[in-house]
Amino acid sequence: MNQPHSRFKLLGFVFTLAVTLLIGLIGLDSTQQVQAAPLKQETETYCLSCHGSPELKNLTLPNGDEISLFIDPQALTMSVHSPAGIECEACHTDIKTYPHPEIDYQTARELSRSYYLACQKCHPSNYSLTLDSMHTQVAEAGNLNAPICTDCHGAHNVQSPNEPRTLISETCGRCHTEIFTQYKQSVHGAALLEGNPDVPVCTDCHGVHNIQDPRTEQFRIAEPEMCARCHADAALMGKYGLSADVYDVYSLSWHGVDLSVYKARWPTIWHDTAICSDCHGVHDILSTSDPASRVSEENLLATCQQCHPGVGPNWTGAWTGHYRISLERTPFVFYTNAFYTYFTPVILWMSGIYVILQLIRTMVDRARRSLR
Amino acid sequence: MNPVKKTSPRTAPIRTLRTFRRFTLLQRFEHILLVLTVLILLLTGLPQKYRSTEWSQQILSTPDRVTTVQQIHHITAIFLGVEVAFHLLNAIYLMVRRQLSADMFPSLQDIRDAWWVLLHLLYIKKGKPAFGKYNFEQKVTYWFVFFGIGILGISGLILRYPEFFTRFLPGGVIPAAKLAHSNEALVLFIFILIWHFYHVHIERFNLSIFTGWLNADDMREYHILEYRNMTGRHGDRQKSGEKKG
Repeated sequence: MNQPHSRFKLLGFVFTLAVTLLIGLIGLDSTQQVQAAPLKQETETYCLSCHGSPELKNLTLPNGDEISLFIDPQALTMSVHSPAGIECEACHTDIKTYPHPEIDYQTARELSRSYYLACQKCHPSNYSLTLDSMHTQVAEAGNLNAPICTDCHGAHNVQSPNEPRTLISETCGRCHTEIFTQYKQSVHGAALLEGNPDVPVCTDCHGVHNIQDPRTEQFRIAEPEMCARCHADAALMGKYGLSADVYDVYSLSWHGVDLSVYKARWPTIWHDTAICSDCHGVHDILSTSDPASRVSEENLLATCQQCHPGVGPNWTGAWTGHYRISLERTPFVFYTNAFYTYFTPVILWMSGIYVILQLIRTMVDRARRSLR
Repeated sequence: MNPVKKTSPRTAPIRTLRTFRRFTLLQRFEHILLVLTVLILLLTGLPQKYRSTEWSQQILSTPDRVTTVQQIHHITAIFLGVEVAFHLLNAIYLMVRRQLSADMFPSLQDIRDAWWVLLHLLYIKKGKPAFGKYNFEQKVTYWFVFFGIGILGISGLILRYPEFFTRFLPGGVIPAAKLAHSNEALVLFIFILIWHFYHVHIERFNLSIFTGWLNADDMREYHILEYRNMTGRHGDRQKSGEKKG
């Protein structure tokens, strides 16, 4: 009777010991991971033992594309992934051994478009955002040159995409060269290149991963509000001596009211009401004080004539624009406004009081007669 | 004031009430045309003025409807414009031919009358002034509408043909015209509601602009000078009324 009891005791002891050891081991293991990070780069070191050599022969794909198999160890170790312990096989999931398995990509592009799918393993939300993008639509329509993750972020040398901030627009500019050239000369782009952090880069207006077609009704209708994100910010605009009223006053203007109706009721119908970019330009926006600006005194009439063909030089005076009513800028509106500010209440109060007096007198007279 | 009230219908003497011609057929027609065109202009104009509001967007529910409503507004405005032009030319023609009196023109007497009536309403002065064919209230209505339509017509034309007008006028007139057009329309509308509707509906139900006739009672009460002119009689009912009361 005594023996089985003690045997159970022994079993219990062994079990407890085992569990303790196991927990301890796991604990030890995790601390080891942090402490011994360089050790984990084994795969990388192993791969680089071949791919780190510039003498490695190029790979020739069936269509004749040549791919360099050389991976610059410097670039790899400087990337965001390598120091975080994310190594070759994380993306090259199909390669586990040497000799490597056969690949059946016909073109270099096909290869890229296959490997980039590995990004979604760790970046699922950004990946799914790209599925809604203009770039994916273009790719689905057959243009395989449409950018994929690695085209913008790089492959082995992935860096933080916004350091420095100019890098964002430069990245887009690699394909959108013409627009980037325009942008660099614009008031926004020039300031960006000078290191100004306040001006918009491409992604501020176009979005990041789910970049939309900017030629649609939806983009057009939302555009003034997009500009207003910065241009209605009094603190930001004050820094540069710009008015933060521009959007509010625009909203009250002929153009702005029309736009608001389209926005509220017919967002999917194309409208020709002037929005910010119609007058100020898109990527080539210049300071309004710049004589070359589309809205400078010399160019304003031609800008108006885009939509109002045949109007004369006086036409631009009709533009109450982005300014509140003032005697200096808009004397006609100022006096009209002043007139109705007094005329309307005076007329309505006078006629109202007169009618009320008459009503009182009539009723009092009637009451008096009936009492007699 | 009303002698019929005090006698029972059975014993009431048969009372013939003379009527007097107050408006010509043409004037009555012009008034109807004015009412209709102004009403249509208001109904099509207000939704355009208040485009940011929910109710306006319910009415102007599609871009096509906006165009339609604007077209109705413009066509109606042409009718009103033609009517105003005719009215003016006709009035000038008739006055030159001595077929229309200058009763409608404001005079100093109107200001004296208005002052008198105001004192009367404030129980400072007894009795009312003797009015001619048009009392000062009616003249105020006429001229207010006259100048209102003038402002609306000019500003409306500027808004309709801005390219043309800015060829010789400064551009600033366009936004000023827009402001004036919508403000004036509203002032005119509310003024008619308060002033004109009180005088023709509440003070007394006066249909003479539609029927063309006004009875002798009203003539004596409201247009005693005109009554004397037309009858040659003194007919001062107001005084006898006061005594009786």
